[in-house]
Amino acid sequence: MAKMSANEKLRHDRLTFYKEDIERIEKILTEFLRLSGAKCALLIDKEGHLVTKSGEVRTIDMDTISALVAGSFAATKEMARLLGEEEFTALFHQGQRDNIQLSLVGDRTLLTILFDDRTTVGMVRLYANETAKKLADVYGEVNARPQPDKPLGGAYGDSAKKRLENLFS
Amino acid sequence: MVQINFALKEVNCKIVYYGPGMSGKTTNLEVVHQKAPEENKGELTSISTDGDRTLFFDFMPLDLGNVAGMRTKFQLYTVPGQVYYNSTRKLVLQGVDGVIFIADSDPEKLQENIESYENLIENLREYGKDIREVPHVIQYNKRDLPNALPVETLDKALNKFGVPTFEAVAATGEGVFPTLKVLAGMVLESIDRGSPADKRQEASKRPAAAPARAAAAPARPAPAPAAAAPARGAPQKRPAPAPTGRVAPPPPSTGGRAPARPAAAVAATRRAAPAQAVAASKAARSAEEAAPRRGGSGLVVALVVTLLAAIAGAVYFVMHQPL
Repeated sequence: MAKMSANEKLRHDRLTFYKEDIERIEKILTEFLRLSGAKCALLIDKEGHLVTKSGEVRTIDMDTISALVAGSFAATKEMARLLGEEEFTALFHQGQRDNIQLSLVGDRTLLTILFDDRTTVGMVRLYANETAKKLADVYGEVNARPQPDKPLGGAYGDSAKKRLENLFS
Repeated sequence: MVQINFALKEVNCKIVYYGPGMSGKTTNLEVVHQKAPEENKGELTSISTDGDRTLFFDFMPLDLGNVAGMRTKFQLYTVPGQVYYNSTRKLVLQGVDGVIFIADSDPEKLQENIESYENLIENLREYGKDIREVPHVIQYNKRDLPNALPVETLDKALNKFGVPTFEAVAATGEGVFPTLKVLAGMVLESIDRGSPADKRQEASKRPAAAPARAAAAPARPAPAPAAAAPARGAPQKRPAPAPTGRVAPPPPSTGGRAPARPAAAVAATRRAAPAQAVAASKAARSAEEAAPRRGGSGLVVALVVTLLAAIAGAVYFVMHQPL
């Protein structure tokens, strides 16, 4: 692998979202929910971190859902590779009441849509494709932006150390 | 990959427990889950076989709480240890921010430990990561085994990069939290201190400059003629070229007899330039210092002008004297 510049390395190791980015993303997600009739949309990094959520979010453990969605997608990507595909860009899990549709946004984010029988999988897929493209544009801008070297300021490190002491004492 | 989300006011980091099968990765995570305060931990989720062997991963979120206004969370994962689960193991490693390598102290598992560590290096490399830049620690687990390998032996076999190591008996909880605490601190520090690539670049500059300084230092007390001798003789070990170019331009060629400029000669050149400048300024102040030297043509002009001025002064003085 070619040697990365400092900024490329930061982009590789860290992703920073600002409030304006999330507001733009949420606006796109809200519009998608209105058009598709889906209940809820989550945007999840391939690493399993939740970026943002929109819609009827019940008391779901978001951390665990995010980790499992990312794991599930990673596993199917491996399956795709074995079949000679680069990756499956969409996945669908059907339940008795609720269903999940996963769509790849850009190259490292998953649009996760929860919907029930108030809409159809066709409607969800149709608008999910459009939405994924819009989100990919936002992501492209976020990724292209130079990553700040110390985005959290000087107080973060000291405060984190104290917290660690308390947690593990 | 660390995710910093200013809208949700969250920092998310991914920590993976890695190591050979049955070394105690899941046990470590179970202990963290049992002992962490209720408000800080999420559910422990396992994707495992019926025989309780990890099939894909175990997962548990650990909430550090509010750190400088940002809710900081660690997502803790384990990987399946068995060799034939490498594809899923590699998937879990995607976007990792810190690794805890759990080694088995059983003498019969030494080779498995080594292979698993090599596998970690290789899998990280496939994600474009150099293990030396990924915060990681090693835990020597099962220290209660009667025939446990000495720590020195395990260190020699595994700890190639001098990372922090911990002794543990995960089954009783001993050593589990100290291991996680240090690794978590290293991960947070890596966020706080900026890009590791910057550090690497700074470090790579240092060795280049250091030999040059070291080479110049012993040459300083040597007199210039003695230092000039090796310039014409056999070449010595060449110092780093950058400082040489900055300090003084290379001298005229000596007829191909000195292809390389040794350190002593460089030092001599560094001293020669200021010596000439001082001599020139002295000569400008005093006409008696008008000995011919390189770059002294301006000096001769100054001397002539001074002499002419003196003569003119003397003539003026004589002509205006009362008879």
